[in-house]
Amino acid sequence: MSILVIAEHDNGSLKAATLNTVTAAQKIGGDIHVLVAGHNAAAAAQAAAQIAGVAKVLLADATHLGHQLAENVTPVVVELARGYSHVLAPATTHGKNLLPRVAALLDVAQISDVIAVESADTFVRPIYAGNVIATVQSSDAIKLMTVRTTAFDAAATGGSAAVENISAGSDAGKSSFVSQELTKSSRPELGAAKIIVSGGRALASSEQFHSVLEPLADKLGAAIGASRAAVDAGYAPNDYQVGQTGKIVAPQLYLAVGISGAIQHLAGMKDSKVIVAINKDEEAPIFQVADYGLVADLFTAVPELIAELNK
Amino acid sequence: MKILVAVKRVVDYNVKVRCKTDGSDVDVANVKMSMNPFDEIAVEEAVRLKEAGKASEIVVASLGVKQCEETLRTALAMGADRAIHVETDTELQPLAVAKLLKALADKEQPQLVILGKQAIDDDANQTGQMLAALMNAPQGTFASKVELAGDKVNVTREIDGGLETVSLSLPAIVTTDLRLNEPRYVKLPNIMAAKKKPLDKTTPAELGVDAAPRLKTLKVAEPPVRKAGIKVASVAELVAKLKNEAKVI
Amino acid sequence: MSYRAPVTDIRFVLNELAGLNEVGALPGYEDVNPELADAILEEAAKLAENVIAPLNKVGDQHGNKLSDGIVTTAPGFKSAYQQFSENGWVSLRTPTEFGGQGMPALIAMATEEMWCAANVAFSLCPLLTLGAFEALEHHASDELKATYLPKMASGEWTGTMNLTEPQAGSDLAQVRAKAVPVGDGTYKISGQKIFITWGEHDMVENIVHLVLARLPDAPAGVKGISLFVVPKYLVNADGSLGERNDVSCVSLEHKLGIHASPTCVMSYGDKGGAIGYLVGEAHRGLGYMFTMMNQARLGVGIEGMAIAERAYQQAVAYAKDRVQSRELGSDNPAPAAIIKHADIRRMLMTMKSQIEAQRALTYYAGAALDRAARHPDAAEKQKWQAVVNFLIPIVKGWNTEQVNEITSLGVQIHGGMGFIEETGAAQHLRDARITAIYEGTTGIQAMDLVGRKTASEQGRTARALLAEVEAVAAQLKTQGLAEIGDALDAALVHARASTDFVVGQFEAQPKAVAAGSVPFLKLMGIVLGGWQLGRAALVAKQKLADGDADSAFLEAKLITARFFAAHLLPQVSGLSAAILHGADTVLALPEEAF
Ligand SMILES: Cc1cc2nc3c(=O)[nH]c(=O)nc-3n(C[C@H](O)[C@H](O)[C@H](O)COP(=O)(O)OP(=O)(O)OC[C@H]3O[C@@H](n4cnc5c(N)ncnc54)[C@H](O)[C@@H]3O)c2cc1C
Ligand SMILES: Cc1cc2nc3c(=O)[nH]c(=O)nc-3n(C[C@H](O)[C@H](O)[C@H](O)COP(=O)(O)OP(=O)(O)OC[C@H]3O[C@@H](n4cnc5c(N)ncnc54)[C@H](O)[C@@H]3O)c2cc1C
Repeated sequence: MSILVIAEHDNGSLKAATLNTVTAAQKIGGDIHVLVAGHNAAAAAQAAAQIAGVAKVLLADATHLGHQLAENVTPVVVELARGYSHVLAPATTHGKNLLPRVAALLDVAQISDVIAVESADTFVRPIYAGNVIATVQSSDAIKLMTVRTTAFDAAATGGSAAVENISAGSDAGKSSFVSQELTKSSRPELGAAKIIVSGGRALASSEQFHSVLEPLADKLGAAIGASRAAVDAGYAPNDYQVGQTGKIVAPQLYLAVGISGAIQHLAGMKDSKVIVAINKDEEAPIFQVADYGLVADLFTAVPELIAELNK
Repeated sequence: MKILVAVKRVVDYNVKVRCKTDGSDVDVANVKMSMNPFDEIAVEEAVRLKEAGKASEIVVASLGVKQCEETLRTALAMGADRAIHVETDTELQPLAVAKLLKALADKEQPQLVILGKQAIDDDANQTGQMLAALMNAPQGTFASKVELAGDKVNVTREIDGGLETVSLSLPAIVTTDLRLNEPRYVKLPNIMAAKKKPLDKTTPAELGVDAAPRLKTLKVAEPPVRKAGIKVASVAELVAKLKNEAKVI
Repeated sequence: MSYRAPVTDIRFVLNELAGLNEVGALPGYEDVNPELADAILEEAAKLAENVIAPLNKVGDQHGNKLSDGIVTTAPGFKSAYQQFSENGWVSLRTPTEFGGQGMPALIAMATEEMWCAANVAFSLCPLLTLGAFEALEHHASDELKATYLPKMASGEWTGTMNLTEPQAGSDLAQVRAKAVPVGDGTYKISGQKIFITWGEHDMVENIVHLVLARLPDAPAGVKGISLFVVPKYLVNADGSLGERNDVSCVSLEHKLGIHASPTCVMSYGDKGGAIGYLVGEAHRGLGYMFTMMNQARLGVGIEGMAIAERAYQQAVAYAKDRVQSRELGSDNPAPAAIIKHADIRRMLMTMKSQIEAQRALTYYAGAALDRAARHPDAAEKQKWQAVVNFLIPIVKGWNTEQVNEITSLGVQIHGGMGFIEETGAAQHLRDARITAIYEGTTGIQAMDLVGRKTASEQGRTARALLAEVEAVAAQLKTQGLAEIGDALDAALVHARASTDFVVGQFEAQPKAVAAGSVPFLKLMGIVLGGWQLGRAALVAKQKLADGDADSAFLEAKLITARFFAAHLLPQVSGLSAAILHGADTVLALPEEAF
């Protein structure tokens, strides 16, 4: 068995998602090759070569691959794929854009968002927005899948695979890149945020609510929420309120800072995937629902947390 | 210009589904079904293009069981001109759907095909891309803005970390993201009018497509419930846990 | 707490109990069928849940502000109303010739339930527009119709009903507002009207007031009242808006509930007289009002049932969430969700079973209204008209009396939290309170029921309906549902005795009958509600035997009907005792002793 992993990169550097995908490939077992398709992407290819466990890096380098348009990358992958038992891409917007196009041309099904590998042909993936976990089996000759990166550790580095240049095909001439606009930490919406930093009455003033929580939220790319007590006291605007009478949220990570955990507040956030509580009262009810509780003064703990994250 | 829009009938987004006790499948008997929210956005986008005078006809297609007709009627009430129902009781997976849509596109020759980026039941996020491949057409996935410009369409895509705009030659495939538009509430007279719009029926066999599923679902289960939490001793330990154990940062 | 339209139950009632298919077979309703009803229900549910329901609390908190004669509605109301009217919901049941959708009352009522449950204060605005529309449609000249109806059907203009005056409430014979002919066919209207719902507001450009007033030559009493159209802005010949009319809102009432619905003191003729146009013939205004009263009273009955549904949904959510005390008889020592406690269950079932009985009876009456209006066979038409006439005071009176109890149970289930405004349970209780008052108090409904609807026709319709109840009871007993059938039979004995008493004594001792009139109304509500749940149980049983997939819903129907039979139907014997033997104690105490 040999596995092709499609690298996530921006030509100049390799994206961490590639490392998680390689780990998923290792779970399947077999020779692992990484495809770097781009333009002036030697640096990314070099980085891929250093992933432990990667046997070979294939570099398709050409102007028309510069923006990794699916129309142009697909033929390269289709061409290669026939020599592999599995083709994996991270379940990023790039991987999701590309891989189904490849699958259709190979006339195989694709397995999206794999979170566990049961065997070489059996995989686990969430459906219904994660409310159901399905185990699926593929009988296709080549198994194509996107991999949920958060479900697999990053592969180690320290390898030294060879980089081999391969044919980059030609421009399909159907699409072209116009522009790109990458967001700079404008904070996400509460409802849509993956991470929420939420503050309670303990913040004690509007000024501190913002000066303490905003740097942490910016660091995590998080939205900011608040308890009703904090809103009522005027520390935070109304639309920040999380809870029974505020917004109902279920982010990947909910950080409750100086919030006691009243049942009305819990009603709004108890479905969060991971809950962290920072509270100086070790009896605070929030700790009953928190996956990770830190008994500490928030005014020291939060700055420490930012420092730790910056490391 | 003709637009083809694909709509799927799915479990309503408000419903929290449960697994059957034998774990063979999700129990969807008698739960509320609705149009896939991303597909509503697709229909809305097509209707707006038509209202703006940029499209002349909107054909909406749905594939699956008999009740897909209701979903098609909703799309017609929103403003689509006519509907095609590919009726089948087989479980349709994305590749089969893409093949069936390709067969419809061969007949209809649309310049633009708009689909939702994913269906909220199987969460596959594949069909649009697969259809684009089969039609040998360019794709603008996860669109948050669609602008027709002559024989091209500019699509702004929501990508990790921001936005990317691509220019695609027509015919092209667009898949919608949530921020593309806010679907309208249907006007009452349009519900009545929708009853009178044409709804054609066909089958995978008539279209010459083998729609058999490729992937086998061995079992389904509900995700594990929240395990009892722990207290951490320090900020450093907290960060380590979040990174390595919970993997949320 | 968000609202979810109970589409499954509504659909069940429409299709299985009220006879949507039969209504669809009436002339002019060829397009009406369960699929169309479904599409309408689904869309209405979306709008009710996502646009209108979220404004319920906002409206309660903000109310309306009056300044310089301008009433500013609560935030969000104007745009929600715009969406509501632009999407055609105002005119669902108005005739197509004036731009309406021409749907039967039955389907329209199902959507009205959703608007009322989502936000009753909001729902009153289109409800009154509809009432005014119907009065004009039936009685106004073609010219007035052409001027006003299309704009009202589209919801661009709203309508009001100006009946009440400080000295004239239940007793409209005392109306004093004046109308003086100008000579050019128009009239100058002057006087004060109070309690005028949505009498003034900022959601639309024009408001069409229907006003009861007396002409100079009018005979005293009810036979001297005429009906006038008085627009807020006069309408030019080309349909554009002209001058502001001499009518204004001079005050807003501070109320127990429905805060978002402006209840206005309207002053006519402060500057010499508001221009009004006579509707139909002079002196016949009150009669005209009564033609639309049937629908309006059913409409208020729907309000009661709908608010009850909303309160019930909220109570269920809380009962599942609130953890308090261990469960009796359970091995688990941990405190349990309160829904595990028997008394909470009793309260929830009391709410649920009455709501479902009311929904079935109300929609049955709605279908009767459609049949009475359109049935091609004269005898059938007449029969259904008698049924609607009989059911209207019951639906209005029973639904709105019970909603007070049901929303109160909703508060009770919340414990102390229920008494706290923020929870929202209290709003339902406050909002519900008006429904038993306006559009004729329960006392007035009950008098209508015992007098005009029962005694004056020798109990014909009452007895015919009770015979139907008996037939269902018999069927229940053969279908293994004897528990319900027996309870209905027992209740029937009392219902018949009470009916005999009302018919037999109305002439001889009217006051004694009046003393028991509200108990009689409630008794009829319970018996006929039990009848509908019995019918529902028969359908459920059959469908379960046929292997219908929605077994959970159908099983619940059976249990709900059994609960009603065990807990509500037995109340009939107590009510009957009060009706038959309670009158003298009602009246015995001398007035001075109070
Ligand atoms: C009908 C109703 C609806 C409600 N709806 C909501 C709702 O939607 N959302 C909501 O949030 N609440 C709601 N509430 C209010 C809720 O009951 C609580 O009052 C509220 O959540 C408390 O907010 P809090 O945790 O910020 O404040 P507190 O309960 O005062 O808690 C502050 C916490 O901060 C800790 N603390 C103090 N100083 C520090 C420090 N220096 N470092 C670390 N920790 C510190 C304390 O130990 C304490 O646990 C509702 C209440 C009612 C009655
Ligand atoms: C919020 C609100 C909105 C309203 N909206 C409108 C509107 O839009 N247009 C409009 O014209 N009016 C409106 N009304 C007025 C409403 O219809 C009247 O309040 C209602 O009809 C009762 O009249 P009343 O208040 O004068 O009470 P009264 O008639 O004084 O009644 C007092 C009590 O006496 C009882 N009673 C009276 N007569 C009898 C009898 N013969 N037998 C037994 N008992 C009797 C009643 O049942 C009641 O319990 C509204 C009222 C309110 C509070």
